[in-house]
Amino acid sequence: MNAFSYVRPTSEAEALRALAEPGAVALAGGTTLVDLMRLDVMRPARVVDLGGLPLDRIDAKTGGISIGALASNTAVADHPEIRARFPVLAEAIDAGASGQIRNMASVGGNLLQRTRCSYFRDLASPCNKRSPGAGCAAFDGYTRMHAVVGGSQNCIAVNPSDMCVALLALDAVVRIKSATGERAIPMSELHVTPDDRPNIETTLKPGELITAVELRDAPFAKRSRYVKVRDRASFAFALASAAVALDIEGTAIKAARVALGGVATKPWREQRVEQALVGKRPTQQTFDAAAKLALADAAPRPDNAFKVALARRVIARALALAGGVS
Amino acid sequence: MQDAPGPCRVVAFVRGWSPDRAGVLELERVRAHLRGLSAELVFESEHGTWLLRPDDEPHPIERLGRTRFRVDDEEDAVFVIEASGAVRFAHCQRTPIAGTLAPALQRATDVMLAQAPLHFTRRAWLTTCVVSGFALVVLSACKQKPSREEPEPAVRAPEAGEVDIVLDVNGQKHPLRIEPRVSLLDALRERLLLTGTKKGCDMGQCGACTVHVAGKRVLSCLTLAVAVQGKPITTIEGVAKMGELHPLQRAFCEHDGMQCGFCTPGQIMSGIAILDEKRATDDDAIREQMSGNICRCGAYPNILAAIKAARGGAS
Repeated sequence: MNAFSYVRPTSEAEALRALAEPGAVALAGGTTLVDLMRLDVMRPARVVDLGGLPLDRIDAKTGGISIGALASNTAVADHPEIRARFPVLAEAIDAGASGQIRNMASVGGNLLQRTRCSYFRDLASPCNKRSPGAGCAAFDGYTRMHAVVGGSQNCIAVNPSDMCVALLALDAVVRIKSATGERAIPMSELHVTPDDRPNIETTLKPGELITAVELRDAPFAKRSRYVKVRDRASFAFALASAAVALDIEGTAIKAARVALGGVATKPWREQRVEQALVGKRPTQQTFDAAAKLALADAAPRPDNAFKVALARRVIARALALAGGVS
Repeated sequence: MQDAPGPCRVVAFVRGWSPDRAGVLELERVRAHLRGLSAELVFESEHGTWLLRPDDEPHPIERLGRTRFRVDDEEDAVFVIEASGAVRFAHCQRTPIAGTLAPALQRATDVMLAQAPLHFTRRAWLTTCVVSGFALVVLSACKQKPSREEPEPAVRAPEAGEVDIVLDVNGQKHPLRIEPRVSLLDALRERLLLTGTKKGCDMGQCGACTVHVAGKRVLSCLTLAVAVQGKPITTIEGVAKMGELHPLQRAFCEHDGMQCGFCTPGQIMSGIAILDEKRATDDDAIREQMSGNICRCGAYPNILAAIKAARGGAS
């Protein structure tokens, strides 16, 4: 690991000043940053430890819940109001990583979790995300875990987060501060596809700090589920996962949210599937037919072609669980 | 046994200390340092004077006397003296060292490793009283003005980027001067010699390094030591109380919850946490909750049995 200067600010203003310095990165739980620093994939000059900031509150109010960016993944998943009002979020977090890592990882850090692409993590392989223009070893390599959608000719690395998939399905809002002001963006506008700049993963600007994630109660939020398929029963990244939410009124689906994980370069919303569900009766046939519309634009590789069929089945299964059909 | 075990002798004046007051673990840690230094230790308190060799029990010996070393009754001190009589390390403090003798010896090792060879005789030292850069040092312990003809001893100055922190491990405060990039795992193992916590993958994938920070189980390999200063840390060395194994430690013995044993400290730290947090509700929940602790010997069925036994109750 490279040597770096370390600061531990005790106020937001101090943290924002420190983060505005060149080469500064924010340290929260460390489960991504320390790991990648030990691999020399990340070599920051300055580490700004956010551990001294009071940003770990989970504030449940009428109409919604605000989650501080430093709330641990465990604290979010265990929170009774989140379990009751946004079950898909608790399920997604519980499906990710291990108990130890969920205790360490923060919500803000999970939002910025970096890919597990083995070529990105291996300094001996060329990687456009690590060094723009270097090339991509995945295209001539083993791509079973890689993205089938949202990739470019420069990068097909998967966004590995489970939590982000649930937040996308829940229309979460991300609150962001910088030395010059603050803004809020919908979850759908946080992550970007790699295109010709795989090193740029989000719309955050240098010096910006995620301070909170806000969830608003919606009729579909309570009836929401997460289904994840992976190579072992626990502590593995998704081959395919789905976060779904259904608003069912009488015998018809009034609104739906469907997002995928494990298959795309960013948390992936499937609006075609959502639209196909609206107005239909919540039956297994409805769910199967709608799920087939997912990943219509997929560009799989021979190693990961199975993910297309798998993701569609995962969606159908999650919809069945949410719709109370199974 | 008659032969001197090494080229160094460590002399420690530690008020209140005696072998039966020291914990077994502290003695073991002190022995580990003595092996590292190729040294034997003479320690003296108001209760007596003992000789401790790395692979032996402490033996009472004749009193040395503090005055010979210019250590007064209100301070503790540690000296490392070479066979030639040269003092390689000297440290005095008013705060008691008892209970932190092992870290004090670690500090001695660090300082000596950082020093150029010293041309410093014991006689010269006796008239000058060298004080090291140990974090707890109390400068008033240095009573006489240095008036040495020999070169200045190279006391290790903090290097660029080093920081002084205090780690609160198993109820003991340990002052450390470290680089911010040092993991909690390396600080525990390499600096505090708490080697019960294991380094398996060093990348957050095996769970062997699991410890509790502020009551929560975390991976010490992905934790920077500097980031957890001041927080209570519990390692596997801290779970037995008053010489009594933790119920889960006993259950691991009774149910043979290990083969090679390398993952066991992490398994137990994780298991204690899920029992305390009431997450071990049924077999599937235990398997799921323990998934961050890999056992390459495959002792999983026995680990599960041990956790269920320690939990008690049905299912």
